Amino acid sequence: MKRLPILLLVAVIAVRQAVADRILVLGETVAVKDTHSDFLNSIKERGHELTVRAADDSQLSLFKHGQLIFDHLFILAPGVQVFGGSLSPKEISKFVDAGGNVLVAAGSNIGDALRELAVEHGFEFDEAGTSVIDHHNYDQSLDSGDHTTIVVGKDQLINSELIVGSSSKLSPVLFKGVGLVSGKANNLALSIVKASGTSYSFDPKSRRVVNPSIAGSRILLVGGLQSRNNARIVFSGSVEFFSNAFFASKTNSVNPSVQKGASGNSELATSIAKWVMKESGVLRVKSVNHHKKGETVPPAEDYFITEDVVYTIEIEELKNGKWVPFQGKDVQLEFVRIDPFVRSTLKTIMGVSQLHSNFPMYLEFSNSW
Amino acid sequence: MTSTTASSRSSRVGATTLLTIVVLALAWFVGFASRLFAIVRFESIIHEFDPWFNYRATHHMVQHGFYKFLNWFDERAWYPLGRIVGGTVYPGLMVTSGLIHWILDSLNFHVHIREVCVFLAPTFSGLTAIATYLLTKELWSPGAGLFAACFIAITPGYTSRSVAGSYDNEGIAIFALQFTYYLWVKSLKTGSIMWASLCALSYFYMVSAWGGYVFIINLIPLHALALIIMGRYSSRLFVSYTSFYCLATILSMQVPFVGFQPVRTSEHMPAFGVFGLLQIVALMHYARNRITRQQFMTLFVGGLTILGGLAVVVYFALVWGGYVAPFSGRFYSLWDTGYAKIHIPIIASVSEHQPTTWVSFFFDLHITAAVFPVGLWYCIKKVNDERVFIILYAVSAVYFAGVMVRLMLTLTPAVCVLAGIGFSYTFEKYLKDDETRDRASSTGSNKDEKLYDKAAKNVKSRSLQSSADGEDTTVSSNVRTIIAIILVIFLLMFVVHATYVTSNAYSHPSVVLQSSTSNGDRIIMDDFREAYHWLRENTADDARIMSWWDYGYQIAGMANRTTLVDNNTWNNSHIALVGKAMSSNESAAYEIMTELDVDYILVIFGGVIGYSGDDINKFLWMVRIAQGEHPKDIREENYFTASGEYSTGAGASETMLNCLMYKMSYYRFGETRVGYNQAGGFDRTRGYVIGKKDITLEYIEEAYTTENWLVRIYKRKELPNKPTVKETTIPIKGKKVSQGKNKKGVIRPAATATKA
Repeated sequence: MKRLPILLLVAVIAVRQAVADRILVLGETVAVKDTHSDFLNSIKERGHELTVRAADDSQLSLFKHGQLIFDHLFILAPGVQVFGGSLSPKEISKFVDAGGNVLVAAGSNIGDALRELAVEHGFEFDEAGTSVIDHHNYDQSLDSGDHTTIVVGKDQLINSELIVGSSSKLSPVLFKGVGLVSGKANNLALSIVKASGTSYSFDPKSRRVVNPSIAGSRILLVGGLQSRNNARIVFSGSVEFFSNAFFASKTNSVNPSVQKGASGNSELATSIAKWVMKESGVLRVKSVNHHKKGETVPPAEDYFITEDVVYTIEIEELKNGKWVPFQGKDVQLEFVRIDPFVRSTLKTIMGVSQLHSNFPMYLEFSNSW
Repeated sequence: MTSTTASSRSSRVGATTLLTIVVLALAWFVGFASRLFAIVRFESIIHEFDPWFNYRATHHMVQHGFYKFLNWFDERAWYPLGRIVGGTVYPGLMVTSGLIHWILDSLNFHVHIREVCVFLAPTFSGLTAIATYLLTKELWSPGAGLFAACFIAITPGYTSRSVAGSYDNEGIAIFALQFTYYLWVKSLKTGSIMWASLCALSYFYMVSAWGGYVFIINLIPLHALALIIMGRYSSRLFVSYTSFYCLATILSMQVPFVGFQPVRTSEHMPAFGVFGLLQIVALMHYARNRITRQQFMTLFVGGLTILGGLAVVVYFALVWGGYVAPFSGRFYSLWDTGYAKIHIPIIASVSEHQPTTWVSFFFDLHITAAVFPVGLWYCIKKVNDERVFIILYAVSAVYFAGVMVRLMLTLTPAVCVLAGIGFSYTFEKYLKDDETRDRASSTGSNKDEKLYDKAAKNVKSRSLQSSADGEDTTVSSNVRTIIAIILVIFLLMFVVHATYVTSNAYSHPSVVLQSSTSNGDRIIMDDFREAYHWLRENTADDARIMSWWDYGYQIAGMANRTTLVDNNTWNNSHIALVGKAMSSNESAAYEIMTELDVDYILVIFGGVIGYSGDDINKFLWMVRIAQGEHPKDIREENYFTASGEYSTGAGASETMLNCLMYKMSYYRFGETRVGYNQAGGFDRTRGYVIGKKDITLEYIEEAYTTENWLVRIYKRKELPNKPTVKETTIPIKGKKVSQGKNKKGVIRPAATATKA
């Protein structure tokens, strides 16, 4: 439409439909291959290519000749004080700016490198040595007595199926690690997993708790954001969250209202990994078309007031590696002149080709100036 | 005897006609030539601000045709609103130059449309001279007409709007104005429908050319009303006014911009009221001879009262019901000079809307300002139907010119006409020998009077040296000679003054600045075009440029980029939004700019070269206009110093020092040094050192600054890819480690034993 600026309220992300994504996995040692094999194998099974390294390896790098050599970076090494090779929080930040996606799993033994990395992306981890403590939701069988192994209910998850999977079916998950908080000015932050209202972050070994720096549901257990170039970053306070041990454990919460049973860590971790790797929650616009009602091609010049206009947009969603028609019911079209002056929800109509959904819309511009 | 008289008369007529033509041709030529200073000094370029839009519109029309032009939706102006140009311009100017261009083209003179535009106003000044001659001839005598034509050809008050390159509506509108008045006077004198129709046609041209047509459609009814009140009603008046009014109203409604205004706004209602009144008066005249006096009185005194009352009631009912728009703010500001300043700051902010000073009366009119009351007096003394018109014209125009500098333009023709009459009549008396005076021809017929300098020799009638003109005869011939010589000297001085003013005051394109060094060399400062050229070459084709509205037309015309506001100040709230962005701090301005999709911001800064028309000097108006729409966010008093002055110097307020305009104007200015002894950051326009020198920009970055810093362009930065935490609440104690290429990393040792 030549004369009217359009803001379409759809997050449109163009991604490569690559079969094999290259992932760099960093552990404190290469042993992470064994302790987190379930998580890593689930990714490998989806056809991706994993490179596992120790975080202090002096040969690490993300760029080669200015090009990304990995699509995603998984940091499962809480204690990194200084990254090896050319890696650094700045370098990882550059990696994100270049479109790379990052998953960070920290722990109580958190090193400065990870804390700096979080700050670069609008989050803050609590200090090393602290843990998220919850005296009302710890796991009776796994906890060593300081109430740091906590059981997270599904009500603490973000209400987004695209990130956390179908949370209604999810079993409680186990978490043990450091607290995270999003920066005040971070308006892109997603609170993927919040802590419960009874939790606080402090050194579990200290006798008295004085002024915990963060407490209550302000603590994030898992936080994430999608940057303005659509790169995705997830910070998790717990590396155990992704571990084989927690994947295989059964939950036994001290809170009687939480059901006991197999932990949901495996499902949740997979969902989050899928979101980070842009395997879910990705839309693209296949075609945009507009014309006068009863015609098929846009007018040679302008639309005039009182003319009926049909606007059609085909949106596709990436699902299980395939582009399928997007089934959203809340796609809106706005015509904006300083403020939106026309806002209309588009109707989904299965088009001629059954593969794509069309959204024709009839707008009558009556005396709009 | 009779044959010789006839032949000598015809030869005299021939000589007079030749003389008239030569004088008018010379007036045209001189008027044209004196308007070319700007071209000789600079180049053939469109001047100032509004002409750039007119030029752009003309260019568009010539390229795309008239109908496309009428439908032209300009998405490059008033972003994101756009402007329907076809419906919001007076197209007369564009059509006129388009027509000239087409004619020249079809004659195989291929001229660029810009040249047509540049030379249009000087060309029309000659036509104005001829129209003025015709008008004055109808009002007084051909001699007075020649005087008036010569005056209007060079008078600075008119030259100011019609120098070469000043491609504006007024350039052709003054011609249309004078010609309409001429045809009106002619039709009133003859009572002919033909002249009235021609008058309506000329009025139509005027309507299509300039918004000042409202002056005509109120002056002519005023004239008709005055004639009725003076008991000068005649069927000639009835015929000419009614046919003029009907045709003129219908014709003026054909201009898209005017549309239904002639029947729906209060400004046009007086004309309609007089039209109705004329019907009643005509009926009265018709009935008076057919009914008794008694019946007449009851019928008309009673009937008139009821009708008059009814008309007023109906008018207010229509206004109240919204069928007729009440008088606009611009109208009120003509009667109350303080009105605009309080209610419509955008009108008051324009310098040409300020009240006129005495100096500018003299500056623009010179000796004619002093002589025109004389002409006015002669007209009053020898009043007739058409002279009532020039009297009303002069009186109302003097008033309006006193209210706004800009309306000096409508006064100038009236002054020229009356000064022409004044000079002509005085010379007529003082250059004649006593014995050859001819009083008989002074009133009524003008067939002899037009030969005022030679004809009198052949007509012997010395009888009428009595009555009102008696005192003239007592003046001795020496005195008369001296007075005549003095008057001629005045006229010469007028020519010198007009040339001087035209050359020095009115021939600056204001797109190119000129100054001179101490030894008299001329320096040309071409910063504006440098900046616009930069924009044209270095920014995306659809880049949005935010600037104060003064520069909108120039950016659109010269840089061909989208602007937010421009000189067509039709949307006050949009201008206020830009004003708010300029007067807010950086982060608030950033929000507004993001909403408006601004890519670049352009400011004019004269502090380096001492150019006083820059944005800092206009800034208070931006604040005022913004305050008018956003009184919660912007308050004028926050921009003053503690002592209540407007200053960007040492005492400037925090708000002032942090607003976007201050930052953009003075960014990096603290580093500059004008002279050896002066501190850095000395503002030459304001004459002091600025208040804050270390200016940092967070949301915008400097994109371009011209040679003399006159134009500074900033780019709005994009938001960072991801938010970072600026001030950590949980401190990171670890010291920064050097970041080498192939360094070995450090892993924090596990502090505690792993869990069970």
